Amino acid sequence: MTYTLDHCNVVFDSLENGTLVVDEECTVWSWNKWLEINTGIASDAIIGNNLKEFYPELDYKGFQRKIRTTLRLTTPTFYDASLSNRFITIPRNKVTTSLLKIMQLQVTISPYIPALKRVMISIHDISDLHELKITLQHRMAEIAHLNSELKQDKQIIDANLMIVKTDCGCLITDITEAFSRFFGFKKEELVGSSLSNLFVANKQESEFLQMKDLLEKKQKWSGEMQINTKNGKKVWMDAVISPYIDEKNEVISYTAIYHDITDKKRIELLSVTDPLTKLYNRQKFDEVFEEMLMRQHWTQENTFGVLIADVDHFKSVNDTYGHQIGDAVLITIADILEKTIRTSDVLARWGGEEFVVLLPDVDMKKAALVAEKYRQAIEQMNFSEVGPITASFGVTVFSYGDTQEKMIYRADVGLYRAKKNGRNRVESVQP
Amino acid sequence: MQTDEFTGDHLDVLKELMNIAMGNATASIADLLQAFGTMHIPHLAITDMDGLKNYIDDALGSYERYYVTKQLFGGIIGGEFIFVMTDESAANLGNYLYDVSQPNDADIMDAVIELTNILSSTIISRLTEELKTKVQFFAPSTEIISGNLLIGDEETLNYHKIIIVSTVMEFQSHKISGQIFILARDETIVRLRELIDQKLEELYA
Repeated sequence: MTYTLDHCNVVFDSLENGTLVVDEECTVWSWNKWLEINTGIASDAIIGNNLKEFYPELDYKGFQRKIRTTLRLTTPTFYDASLSNRFITIPRNKVTTSLLKIMQLQVTISPYIPALKRVMISIHDISDLHELKITLQHRMAEIAHLNSELKQDKQIIDANLMIVKTDCGCLITDITEAFSRFFGFKKEELVGSSLSNLFVANKQESEFLQMKDLLEKKQKWSGEMQINTKNGKKVWMDAVISPYIDEKNEVISYTAIYHDITDKKRIELLSVTDPLTKLYNRQKFDEVFEEMLMRQHWTQENTFGVLIADVDHFKSVNDTYGHQIGDAVLITIADILEKTIRTSDVLARWGGEEFVVLLPDVDMKKAALVAEKYRQAIEQMNFSEVGPITASFGVTVFSYGDTQEKMIYRADVGLYRAKKNGRNRVESVQP
Repeated sequence: MQTDEFTGDHLDVLKELMNIAMGNATASIADLLQAFGTMHIPHLAITDMDGLKNYIDDALGSYERYYVTKQLFGGIIGGEFIFVMTDESAANLGNYLYDVSQPNDADIMDAVIELTNILSSTIISRLTEELKTKVQFFAPSTEIISGNLLIGDEETLNYHKIIIVSTVMEFQSHKISGQIFILARDETIVRLRELIDQKLEELYA
């Protein structure tokens, strides 16, 4: 028997894990080399003594119950290796990136010599594995936390931001709840249809073409656009359309984010509109005039003109019929001019009974012809309360070095000449 | 592998052997833990991977938090022993075994492991003893699982045909109960059938 036990001790010493033999009373009968090295307790010191003297902090009630179970069932029992160490404490010397100061142990209690109520306890250092598990758990917790935040953000975005997603062919694939609520469309009503179907703008309009051009170049487009709601109401949107590009530089999808600016546009319109005639006011006209002057491409044959119209004998209309009728005459003339002007012309009320029109892409002759057309339109109109009304026109065109003041001055000279020459006529003034 | 050849007779014998094994487990627990409990008559089923999830979902109900201990056993017959307790039962077990009113997670997990050790070794050992074979137990692991995530998709991928032995263990005086599932797959089902055939031959020789 002695030889056998000695032989076993030689085997235990050669193992790369801790091995000890104890009996039901916790007396130590074997303590291998691995344990000597890692615990600093020599086998001579501990063998024959009780484990309790060396490790008083251990839960001996549970430990002895496990020994008893092992012996009765003649089968191994285990400590839970997944939580903090429950068995003896062995310091760990890892310096770099260590989360554990003591070894995480996997402890198996196996029957050894049941007749002597002795069990063998195998101790495996699973600290590296346990560290990995802890790190993984932390990462998983972080991912879960981020996912939860992402989900909350997604809910907030869905409820509050108007977003449309499309495939690479601009066919709608998804809309947010906020978009659905604002526009009155259900998701299934829009999915599969083209994004451009929502736009009010004609597909040949420059803004639309610019958007198409940028998106085809895989660039972001932003701007203002009008969109139809389901019930036909036109609303103004500030929009950003961004392509989502994969690593092969192919467009996978587009995301369009909308922001309602209808009220802003309404206020903008009020600030540039003459309250009586609803035409552009003088301030807006000045802005457009400046923009037109800045354009570099005007030539002698293709320049722009300006005309000033003044209603003839308007003071007598006011004096005879009162200001209300006078205002009605101005509104009617504004309406006539608006219907008569070319699409590109910019019409505004200059003040009192005077109107101004900017005429792009004309020469002197054409500008005079356009003015003549306006004159005839007013002349032919029947003003039921006051009888026929006429207007006089002064016209000029841009020439290199001109300013707004110079051009208005020349148009005014033409107007003065038209009045002087008998009214209801157009007078051109060369630059 | 004709697992379909596991007949009603085989199931009856296995059920009887499990009854004996569970009686053994109850006695061992009474002896080792001084806890006197009962075990329900085991339920046996052979199912596929989809059926396993449904079976466990039905058995566990909709409780939110479980202590789940899984222990593998290997040999001529091998498989997985799973012991599931609600967190309330597990806390009562921790309280009972460790004499503390507020056992911490480590106490509870160790208590659950201890009970699983006893249950698995007595039940499986007795079963294998009856069938004249041996098994090796591997270190169990316990985890706390929320909802019905007991079996993940990646785990069921390893199984084709599964035999399920399940029962309920109760210590009413301590308000402790748990569900036991013993799962084995194709090869073990065939070997189990062969061992049961041998047993039947012995019985009727």
